[in-house]
This record gives sequence, structure tokens and C-alpha cells, in this order.
Amino acid sequence: MPQAAQTARAAGAPRSSGLSLLGSELKVLFGRRRTWALLLALAAIPVLIAVAVKVSSAVPPGRGPAFLDRITQNGLFVAFTAMLVSVPLFMPLAVGVVAGDTIAGEASLGTLRYLLVAPAGRVRLLLVKYAGALAFCIVAPLTVGLAGAAIGAALFPVGPVTLLSGGVVQPAEAALRIVLIAAYLAVSLAGLSAIGLFLSTLTVVPVGAMAATVVVSVVTEVADQLPQLDWLHPWLFSHYWLGFGDLLRQPVAWDSFASNALLQAGYMAVFGALAYGRFVTKDILS
Amino acid sequence: MGSNRLDSSGRFQRNNTAGRRAWLRWLPAVAAPVAIASGALIGSLPAGASNPLPARTPAQVLELAASHQVQSFSGTVEQSAELGLPELPAAGKPSGPASPGSVGSVASVVELLTGTHTARVYVDGKDNARVQVMDQLAERDAVRHGSDVWFYSSKDNTAEHLALPARSQDPGQTKDPALSKEGQGAAGMHTPGELAQQFLSKVDPSTAVSVGPDVSVAGRAAYNLLLEPRTDATLVGKVAIAVDGASGMPLSVQVTARGADKPAFAAGFTSLSLDAPDQSVFTFSPPPGSSVKELPVPDRSGKHADAHDPSAMHADAKENVTVAGAGWETVVGTAPGSAAAAGSLLQDPLLSQAAVAVPGGRLLSTALLNILITDDGRIFAGMVPPERLQAAAAVAR
Repeated sequence: MPQAAQTARAAGAPRSSGLSLLGSELKVLFGRRRTWALLLALAAIPVLIAVAVKVSSAVPPGRGPAFLDRITQNGLFVAFTAMLVSVPLFMPLAVGVVAGDTIAGEASLGTLRYLLVAPAGRVRLLLVKYAGALAFCIVAPLTVGLAGAAIGAALFPVGPVTLLSGGVVQPAEAALRIVLIAAYLAVSLAGLSAIGLFLSTLTVVPVGAMAATVVVSVVTEVADQLPQLDWLHPWLFSHYWLGFGDLLRQPVAWDSFASNALLQAGYMAVFGALAYGRFVTKDILS
Repeated sequence: MGSNRLDSSGRFQRNNTAGRRAWLRWLPAVAAPVAIASGALIGSLPAGASNPLPARTPAQVLELAASHQVQSFSGTVEQSAELGLPELPAAGKPSGPASPGSVGSVASVVELLTGTHTARVYVDGKDNARVQVMDQLAERDAVRHGSDVWFYSSKDNTAEHLALPARSQDPGQTKDPALSKEGQGAAGMHTPGELAQQFLSKVDPSTAVSVGPDVSVAGRAAYNLLLEPRTDATLVGKVAIAVDGASGMPLSVQVTARGADKPAFAAGFTSLSLDAPDQSVFTFSPPPGSSVKELPVPDRSGKHADAHDPSAMHADAKENVTVAGAGWETVVGTAPGSAAAAGSLLQDPLLSQAAVAVPGGRLLSTALLNILITDDGRIFAGMVPPERLQAAAAVAR
């Protein structure tokens, strides 16, 4: 983005240019209509669920995605249902669009050159781009969760929430658990973002990188469902995506959070290193 | 960083030095997977006995296991079973409306006998216990607090309550502090201690007992007790029980079928604390909105839905149950009058598909257990080859 380039150039000392580069990157990312459209689409999921449940008859228990049958009793379950529904496809889709665009987007616009003329350095630019993608990973689940809690509170009664273990927590703690789940999902998407970043360094066509990222996530999720690939499952970045239910137990089971964080850190290391290798050796022509 | 900037203006900068440096830039991309792979490899190696346990004879280890005094603990149990039962992709698991009493239903038990399951177990004394089977986005709970036993399934939000008689003499309830027998069946998962008990009770002259090299389970050094049936007339090839070196508590059980090299069934602690768990985990009241069902007080002679459960089968010989053979060759059969159980077994679509027609009935064959459902509705089960079941059915008739 031209603005990003200018801001970066204006910031004199290399030391401060990292932070100001990140600031301008975030400003560009969240100033984009595309990003807002993605977040709005994500926020529409809980709204759609809440309205559908409101206008239809009661859902029999045990049918449909988990928590769906609880919504009529407690609006906060809209948030849980929406986060659950958006995990397999919508979240990776949104993250794929943002992460796939990181480097390839600048390259296709011809702005990558200018960014690198500024005393920023390729490594720093890569880090800043990844940090921007991570920021989106944090905002996206939070959007779904908060929009779900809001629409649920608007359409249904809100009361103490029944956890998976049969225990009951007050709405304030339930809100805390929604934020915790959003954090879990943010961590879950970090590995996919790293893959998207790497794919984005391979091409100057952002759509290609976006599509490839989404395809990778879908293929991984399919592989995770096949019992024949048992041995591979713990290594797939999507393996713990639905493990956020562990945060709704009493007492909270942190094991899956820890395993997930470790797994995602591994993906960040591998694909971050690949992106580094590719990006610093690449001929930048545009 | 300086060289990066040099490269940044493109291919005109490229010369021999840059070309040689280029592969250095790929070094992290190679190093990261190598580091992760080696880390995973080291983690998967059996932990070396840094603090070796004093050597004990098999008899001493058996004694240690039999006399353990652990009454309070909490931990996570992981169970994995590859019995050869049909396994569905996780996404295809039946999510339809559960039939009444689904918590301990045949389908639920079969589901627990395939794949991998994780449960948290809390036990404090004889009267307080809780098992949480942690399914994905769901949970099945069995809680015992004093004489109150609660079963809860989050999937359909149903709670079942059972009030135990004040002075219960049921051996199933006093034998092991973990849970009442009904609790095990409904929660569906057994602690390694309960499973180990089933196998240790079989130790007799027909079993070769030895102690293997020490193992590490849940971070604790343990004796590896190996039981090998001396008879060919059983499906079981080897049973390995890890006995905690410090406390004598069984920490894991692995059952290997005859001729197989990997365990067909394994259950063990992945984490364990011998401190008394927080009392709050044992209190349970049905959440608002849940449907609550009162269960009748268990009838001693009654058959349970989990009648084909191997441990339930071997644990209690009831009036209408016939037992043939002993030790590893035990065959348990039901009397002709109990066609209902056979019907409920075959009603399950998964099981009726898996059962194959054999002379005299239908056979449900797994790596460790064979179940014969005769044409006249009797059930014969045992950890024995199918011919033995057919023979037992012929004799009983």
C-alpha cells in the first residue's frame, strides 16, 4: 500500500520503523473495505443462527451442532454455536484471504519494491506482515463471539450457563469463557496464517495464495477425519480446532490449549522459516 | 540485516557471493523441521530409568499391586482400542436424538470400545468419585457423592439419578473405591486400576507372570508386570500392567492379542496426582433445563445393557448366567430366556452389520473378545476363539 510505504519511509531511525511499520500495516489492514466485509460476514453467522432459531420451532436436544438446542433457554449459547459453526470453514476462509494477501498483495500492486526501499529490511517486513495477519486472527473469533453474545442477549433470555460437565456458571464468567474460546481460536489460526504467509511469498497473484491457503486448510480437515490416517492426526494444524470445548468443562481442561499452542508454534517455526528463506532470496521485480 | 537491504533492489545485485549466501537463507527452513522431528523423536523414546526402581520378583510386584492403599487421586486416563469393530469417521458419528437411557446404551458402549477416549478421574475415599469422559464438545459424567450417584450427558442434556441403599453390600460397590459397577457401565470407561483388577484376578498357574524393564507412565516409574496365558485357547497374547513403583497402584493396562505386536486395547494414566481432589468436583446437581430421570436401585440379578462388556461378564456369575471353563478360557453364556439382551445387541445397526452369520448363530468377532448370539437368542462371550463359543453353546443346550 502506498500509505504504508510513505509512513515507513517517513519514520527515520530503523529502530522505530518496526513499530511504526506495524502501526501503518494494521491501519491499512483494518482500514480496508475487504477486511470489514470479512468481519461483517463473520458477524452475520451468529445473527443468522439466532434469527433462524427464533423464528423456527424448538430444536430437539442432540440435533444439529452442539449447543444449538440450548439457545432458546440462554442467548449466550448463540456465541458458542456460532464460534463452533465458523471454525471449520468461515474462519480459515477469512484468515486465508488476509494471510494470502500479505506479501502477494503488495507484489501485485507493485508496492513491495517501495516498502523494501525504505530502511525496513525484508525480515522486518515479513514479521510485520505476519503480525498483521495474527491481529486479524485475534479480531475474527472475537467478532463472532461478541456479535453472538450481543444478538443472543437481544433475542433470548440470558442466564446462568450450563457447562459441558453439568455445572453452572454466571453470565459474567460465561463471557470470560467466550473470550477464552476466542483466544483459543486465535492461537488455532496462527499456524494457518504462517502457511498463508509462506504461500504468499511464492506468487505475485494474491488470489492464488488465498485459494491455496484455504485449500490447504480444507484438505487438512478432511485428512483429520479419516481414521486410516490416525498416525498423522496429531500433526495436522486443524487437529485441535474443535478442542475449544475443553474450555467449557469444569474444571477447565487446559491440556488441549497447551497441545494446540505447541502445535501452532511448530507450524509458525516451519512455515515462518520457509517464508523467510523464500522472501530474502526472492527477486523483487514489482 | 545489512545484506538484506543490498539484495532488496533485485536481480542486478546478484553475484557469486549472493548466490552462495542464498542457500544459507534456506537453512532455517531446513533446521526448523529437523529440530521439531528430533524433539518429537526424543519425546517418544521410552524415558530412561534415571532413578531405577529396586528389583522385585513377579510375586513381589503382584503383592505390591494387591496391597496398594491409594484411596484418593485425580488424573487423566487415555484409552485406545483397536478391536476391529467398525469405525466411523468422527464426522459421521450418529448425532440423532438419543434413545431413552442412552447413557449406558449398547451404542454408547460400542462407541467407547473404538478409537481413543480421554477421561478425567477424581476419586476420594470410597464414597466420592467422578469420571468425566471428555468427548469433542460434549461430556459424559458419572458422579458419586456418598449414596447419590448422578449420570449426566451434555449431548442431550439428560441427568439420571440413582440413590444407593445406605448399607450396600454389593461387592461391585465396595471392591473398588472408584465407582459403583453401574457407574462404570454408564460412564463407560474404566480406570486402569479396575481393569488391572480384572486381569490380576486371573493370575493362576495357567498364567506366566514376569516383570519386564521398568516403564514410565504419567511421569512415574513403574514396574511392568507381564501376564502371558499358557493356553492357546484364548485370544489374549499378552497383558502388560504398569504398577507404580512408589504406591503399587496400577497405572496402565495394555492387552495384546495373540500373534499381534501392538496392543489391541490400552488404558493408562497420562497424568496422575495422588493428592485428594477438590471436594467441589463431587457435588452435582442437575442443571436447569435438563431432563432428570430417577433410576431404580440396582437389582442384583438384573442384566445390564453392558452385558457384553467383558469385565461385567467375568465379574459376576448370576443365576441365569452359565460359566464354562476357567481362567483365560472362561466362556460366559446367558440362559435361553433372555432373548431381550440378544435383541438389543442386534438392534444396534453398527453391531448387526458387524455380526457375521456362523453355524448356530451370529458371531461378533473382535481382536480380544468373541460374542456368539445363537439363533435361539442366547449370548455366549469370551476371550476365546469362536469354536469354543460354539462348543459351549452346544453343550449348554
